[in-house]
Amino acid sequence: MSDYSVIGKRVHNIDGTEKVTGSGKYTFDVVLPNMLYGKILRSPHPHAKILKIDTRRAKRLVGVKAVVTGKDTLGRKQGIWRRFPELCDEEILCRAKVRYIGDAVAAVAAIDEDTAEEALDLIDVEYEPLPAVFDPMDAIKEDAPQIHEGVELNININRHIEWGDVDEAFEKCDHIREDKFKCSSQAHVCMETHDAVASFGHNGKLEVWTSSQSSYYIQRLYADMLDMNESDIRVTNRHTGGGFGSKFELDSAQFCAAILSQKLCQPVKIVLTREEEFTATKRRTPMYYFLKLGAKKDGTMLAKEVRVITEGGAYTAMGATALYLTGFFSSFPYKYPNYRYDGYRVYTNTATTSAMRGFGAPQSTFVGESQIDMMAEDLGIDPVEIRRKNGMTPNYEVPGQAFIQSCGLHQCLDKIEEHIEKRGKLPPNHGIGVSAYGFMSGGIFNWFNTPYAFSAAVVRINIDGKVDVYTGTCDMGQGSNTTLAMICAEELGVRLEDVRMFSGDTGICPPDLGAWGSRQTLMGGNAVKMAAAECKQQLIEFTAAKMGVNIVYDLDIKDRWVHLVDRPERGVSYFDIVKEAIRGKDGVAIMGRGHYTPHRKGMISPAYSFGVQAAEVEVDPETGRYKLVNVTTAHESGTVINPVGIEGQLEGAIMMAGGYGFCEDQPMDEGKILNPSIADYKLIRSLDMPETDILEIDTYEPEGPFGAKEAGEGLTNPTAGAIGNAVYKAVGVRIYDLPITPEKVFKALKEKEKQQKKAKK
Amino acid sequence: MINDFEHFTPKTLKEALALLAKYGDDCKVICGGQSLLILMRQGLVSPKYIVDIKGISELSYIKDDKDGVKIGATTTHRAVEKSAVIKKKYPVLAEMETRLASVQTRNWGTIGGNVCHGDPAGDPVPVLIALNATLTVAGARGTRSIPVENFSLDYFEVDLKDGELLAEITIPPPPPRTGAVYTKFNIIESDLATVSVAASVTLGAGDGVCQDVRIALGAVAPTAIRAKKAEKVLKGKKITDALLKEAGEVAATETEPISDIYASEEYRLELVKALVPRMTKEALARAKKA
Repeated sequence: MSDYSVIGKRVHNIDGTEKVTGSGKYTFDVVLPNMLYGKILRSPHPHAKILKIDTRRAKRLVGVKAVVTGKDTLGRKQGIWRRFPELCDEEILCRAKVRYIGDAVAAVAAIDEDTAEEALDLIDVEYEPLPAVFDPMDAIKEDAPQIHEGVELNININRHIEWGDVDEAFEKCDHIREDKFKCSSQAHVCMETHDAVASFGHNGKLEVWTSSQSSYYIQRLYADMLDMNESDIRVTNRHTGGGFGSKFELDSAQFCAAILSQKLCQPVKIVLTREEEFTATKRRTPMYYFLKLGAKKDGTMLAKEVRVITEGGAYTAMGATALYLTGFFSSFPYKYPNYRYDGYRVYTNTATTSAMRGFGAPQSTFVGESQIDMMAEDLGIDPVEIRRKNGMTPNYEVPGQAFIQSCGLHQCLDKIEEHIEKRGKLPPNHGIGVSAYGFMSGGIFNWFNTPYAFSAAVVRINIDGKVDVYTGTCDMGQGSNTTLAMICAEELGVRLEDVRMFSGDTGICPPDLGAWGSRQTLMGGNAVKMAAAECKQQLIEFTAAKMGVNIVYDLDIKDRWVHLVDRPERGVSYFDIVKEAIRGKDGVAIMGRGHYTPHRKGMISPAYSFGVQAAEVEVDPETGRYKLVNVTTAHESGTVINPVGIEGQLEGAIMMAGGYGFCEDQPMDEGKILNPSIADYKLIRSLDMPETDILEIDTYEPEGPFGAKEAGEGLTNPTAGAIGNAVYKAVGVRIYDLPITPEKVFKALKEKEKQQKKAKK
Repeated sequence: MINDFEHFTPKTLKEALALLAKYGDDCKVICGGQSLLILMRQGLVSPKYIVDIKGISELSYIKDDKDGVKIGATTTHRAVEKSAVIKKKYPVLAEMETRLASVQTRNWGTIGGNVCHGDPAGDPVPVLIALNATLTVAGARGTRSIPVENFSLDYFEVDLKDGELLAEITIPPPPPRTGAVYTKFNIIESDLATVSVAASVTLGAGDGVCQDVRIALGAVAPTAIRAKKAEKVLKGKKITDALLKEAGEVAATETEPISDIYASEEYRLELVKALVPRMTKEALARAKKA
């Protein structure tokens, strides 16, 4: 693989300079002539009927240009599971009922933000509060208030996954464990809050600049909600200040800005405040987990049974996918011959839970990896060994579900074992916990019901040899534009600086499902590679004809040199060939098209990445406070396109997943989130970051571009489990509910002390 | 949304006091704004007038004289942290500053502003209590002195009357054989305290007896408090682990912590029990070396 000239090189993000100098323009920076500013009025009640909305006083305020409510909409409900109309359940601007504190009821456009905000206070909404329910375990009771009409027991959706004969297999087990866990919520906390500038013109067309992970989804959902043609809507995202799963559904900023702009034929900008971002956007799904795991004495795990009840919040959103994926990834990364999953997503009067980096897998990995350590201890087997014994291997079929081609799990386990040995004998109250995981490289499911290819790209070579890539993929800061430019440059035989990316603009880019489920490198990358290959083929054909090359020779392009593969010194400059080829084509630029849709790759994903993480903690037994000392990850993601990108993903993931394990939470009182600010929502910061190390394992994924696959999202999965296992190793207490706060550790230590005293007596 | 307000930038203490006298209750003093602006953004405070004393250079100084070290109220946290005099005479004060929020906040926020904010979880006050500091408050009719431990009255409420301004913090020279320490328990390194403890121990000449001890606690009551009963447990005795443990238990009885989203009341009490002995022991070790 060493003959790559671009791939595998350490490069900075191609938009890095713009971003660090502040010249990069985000939606937040967009200002248009005659632009108005919008604000959204939100429900203070967790569950209430809207009896009346009187906007007259607000409309009279000087500077207010429009006030809209649900009556100004078509009354449609949106949802990203478009194949299932009953799961499209969110009006965005509520007409008759609000279902959580933060549900939008009206929006104002005014000459500035202050006026708009002042106007919100002048909108009189008459509510009839209804009984509300906040915990899914309460919401499934017979007498619980019904949140959506006709939805019995508030069960939004249920999923079942099964293979083998689980009941029979448990009979054969030497040891069975049953454990309960609870996973907490988590906010995405993007640097850029949700925002949009919507401009509806007298030409009947809508242009929207927005911070988004999928311009195509936003465009399509707009078309549904506004009853417009998709092609009359242009959604652009130039830079996006973070997404992490929060930005590929139509949100209140986008929808309200468009409704207001339609009314006024003037551009309207809405930027959610940080408080709205915490309370009125979506978040990670809290889950109750019930696990049953059976093994033979030698550690062979024969059966696993998983039951999950999730806190859905007010609407479906992407929660249905999280429910499915947490069930699928509960079997990861092991070869359970018998497996059964039943998951229920339950509506509650809380902020909707949906997609967030890891998408159900951080939850399943925390609970699964905690339990497997307990099983190992019960059986007297080393934690690495039990994972080795049961871990997935290349070319493994998850029965009826998925086919795994490349898999470096065992190499990762070996590396982590070496790492643990190297750490030697640990000081008192230190412990190293291990956690293994896997993740997908893009989803195969199409509940969105797109008729388009999942990914598509157009590559155009200009007269000066510079290459333009057009793709609907979205760079939300994860570096996909850099990755895709590298793939294009490698395939075409040019340098990275020769490639310019045009992405996430539905006006000029072919549709792509966007940046979620770790799909951009594999799916977007395959599309770009195919388009670049088509361009390259044209150049090679032209060169072969021009040079009069003997038919037995192959031509290739490397580092801007079009040459004979077997005699690389015989060749011509890429730039010269481009000029001549375009002239030869009657002045038409060289263009190539590429697309990718997974076929015959199972039900989940075309490829999976794997890894094993070891977290070392130091616990203060007097206070329960612990420090993350070191987090080392053995990681395989197929061919590494950009090592710098992977390091960034790893560090970011440890910050995010470490926070999930250690401190991040969204405590509520009667549905009200109590910490809706950066000051009160505890995030790991630079000073809290542990020493991190990455041990990259070499694998090659046949389905991926140049052998690449998922590289960043899966890294969010292992850390909470590794921390839990490390705390147990350090001081012998097991925490069953996230986050693993010092207070919980302290209480568990006290309880353990009490039990030990009792035992002595 | 921050409501509109009128903003004054006096250049002298006299000018500032005149403005305060004029606008009284409707006016708020701002210096670094690291605390006030947050409250204003949250709509908890909406003053009509703001007197910005950042530009009063006569209040920004660190002076060392026979009464001790004097710190002007508008001295930034960073200046305190980096001061050679402070590092030499009261290393605990500089150490406390290194844990106060972030460098950016310390570059702009001031020690006087922090003390006047009256947040029971603030870092400087427990340390200043342990160091037996005094505050000089200026008003239209002259100045008055008040021990720092009496300055905080309640949650975000301090002993400043209308028209008054904190001018100076005076820290007396440390007695010989004194060691002082500060720590805070928090979840995130640069965050406010869940519980904080400052302790200062002075040993008798040659006998190793605890001649004086001052223990101050933050975030466990409406104001930072001095744990006087716990001090009594130790004062005049040779400090042992058993006494320290007892001092911790006693200190816990002097607090009135609340439960909030960061910690339960019970946990805060347990933290006091764990941290008071630990920190006092560290202060003792420092006193022995001093």
